[in-house]
Amino acid sequence: MASESIRLVRRYLPTQRLVHWIGVPAFLTLLISGIVLIVPPLALVAAGGTTQLIHRIAVVPFMLLPMLYFVLNRKQAVELLKESFTYTRDDIEWFKRMPAYFLGRTKGLPPQGRINAGQKLHHASTFLMFNTIGASGFVLWFGKGNLGYDGLALAAMIHDLSMLGLTVLMIGHLYFTLVYDALSGMLRGYVTEEYAKMEHPKWLEELPENEIIVKSKT
Amino acid sequence: MATRYAYSIDLDRCIGCQACTVACKTGNEVSLTDAYISITDIVRGQAPNFWGSFAHHRCFHCNDAPCVTVCPTGTLSKWNGLTIVTPEKCSACGYCTDACPFKVPHIYENHVSKCIACLELVKDGGTPWCATTCPSQAIKFGEREQVLADAHARIAQLKPRYPNVQVYGETQLGGLGLLTILLDKPSAYGLPEDPQMPLTIDVWQRVVQPASIGLTVTAIAVTGLSYIIARRQHVREKMQAHAAPSAEESKDVQSKEKQDNG
Repeated sequence: MASESIRLVRRYLPTQRLVHWIGVPAFLTLLISGIVLIVPPLALVAAGGTTQLIHRIAVVPFMLLPMLYFVLNRKQAVELLKESFTYTRDDIEWFKRMPAYFLGRTKGLPPQGRINAGQKLHHASTFLMFNTIGASGFVLWFGKGNLGYDGLALAAMIHDLSMLGLTVLMIGHLYFTLVYDALSGMLRGYVTEEYAKMEHPKWLEELPENEIIVKSKT
Repeated sequence: MATRYAYSIDLDRCIGCQACTVACKTGNEVSLTDAYISITDIVRGQAPNFWGSFAHHRCFHCNDAPCVTVCPTGTLSKWNGLTIVTPEKCSACGYCTDACPFKVPHIYENHVSKCIACLELVKDGGTPWCATTCPSQAIKFGEREQVLADAHARIAQLKPRYPNVQVYGETQLGGLGLLTILLDKPSAYGLPEDPQMPLTIDVWQRVVQPASIGLTVTAIAVTGLSYIIARRQHVREKMQAHAAPSAEESKDVQSKEKQDNG
C-alpha cells in the first residue's frame, strides 16, 4: 500500500508556543489557588496562607507574559492585538453563525483569516480582563487595610468577575481546540492543511507555498 | 439553643485606669507593641464646665460580622455570639481590616489581631480577663440577655444625669456582643449610629462569588454536553470533505475511461 502523505501548515513559532505554555501552568495555578478562597468548603485549603503564597508567586510569570511575548515576537504580538480589535462584515456574519459553529458546523461560515471572529473576541476579552484582573489584584495585595469596605468589595468583585470571564474563555478555548483538532498547532507548531482549509481559508490562501510542508502519514 | 454571650461596658463606671488593657495583654500574652483594647479620653468644653468620658476601641463581636463574612480562610468565626479567632488559619489577606465598620481587626506580625474573647477561659466557664480585672466593675460578661437587662437597668438610673444615655449595640448588625452604655450619642464617641453590613460586601459575598462558581460550572457542563454533538458533526464534515475530492477523482477516471473506449 502506498504511504499516504499529509500536508501541514505552520501555525505558531516555537517562541509563541513557549509563551503559551508558560501561561498555561501560571494561569491554572492562579485559578486553583484563587478559587479556594471563594468556595467555602475549600477554606481549609486556603488556611495558613500557603495558597496565597503560591498565588503571589504564580502571578509574576503571568503578569510578565505579555512583555515576554512582545520581546520574543514583537511583530506577532502587535499583529494579534490589532487583529483582535478589528472586526469586518465577515466577522459579524461569523458571529451570527456561531451557534452552529459551536456545535461543530463550519459549512456556510464566511471565510476567515488567520484568526476567526471568535478568536478575535476571545483575544480582545482576554486582553481586557488580563488588565482588570491584574489591576484589581494589585489593589487587593498592596492596598490591604487602606481600602475600606467599599474599596475592598469593589476590587474583589472586579477580580472575581475577571476570573469568571477568563475561566469561561479558557473553557471555550479548550472546547474549540478539542472539537476542531487544533491542539497540534500549539503542541508542534503545525496544523493540517485540511484544518486550515475548513477554518481559516483566507489565511491559507495568503500563505506562501513554502510555509506548507508535506509529511508522510506513517 | 446555644448560649449567646456578651460583654458590657459601663462608661459611667469606667475610670480609664487601663487595667483591662494590661490584664488583656498579660492574660492573652499579647505582644507589647500590639493590643486588643485601647482606651482614649474624650473631653469637651473647658473646666469647670467640661464633659469627659472614655472611649473603648475593641472588637464589638457583631452578630452579623462583616469580618467573618469576608474571611476566606475561616480564621474568624462566630461562637456563641462571640467573634473568635483561629490564628493559625490566617493568611494575613487583610480583608477583615477593610470590612470591619469599626476598623478593629488589624494585621500584626502576619496574623490578624483582635479580641479573642478569652475563648479558653470562657469555655472553661471563666470570665474574660478584662471583666475579671476591672476595678470599678465597668466591664461585665455573661449571657447576653442578662447583660442587656442589666444595661437597661443602668440606663434607667443614669437617665437623669445623662439625657442622651443609651445602650449601644442592642440591635446594630444583628445585635453586638459588646454592649456599651454610652453617656452621649454614638457620634460623640466616633461610633456610627447605625452600622450595617455594607451592601457592597453583601453583593460580593452573596451574589458575585456564588454566581462566579455557578457560571463556571455551567460553562463546563454546557461544553461537556455540546462536545459530543459538536465532535460528531465535525467528524462528519471531515469525512465529507475527504469523500468529495475522491468522488470527483473517480468521476474523472470514469469519463477518461469512456473517452478511451469511445
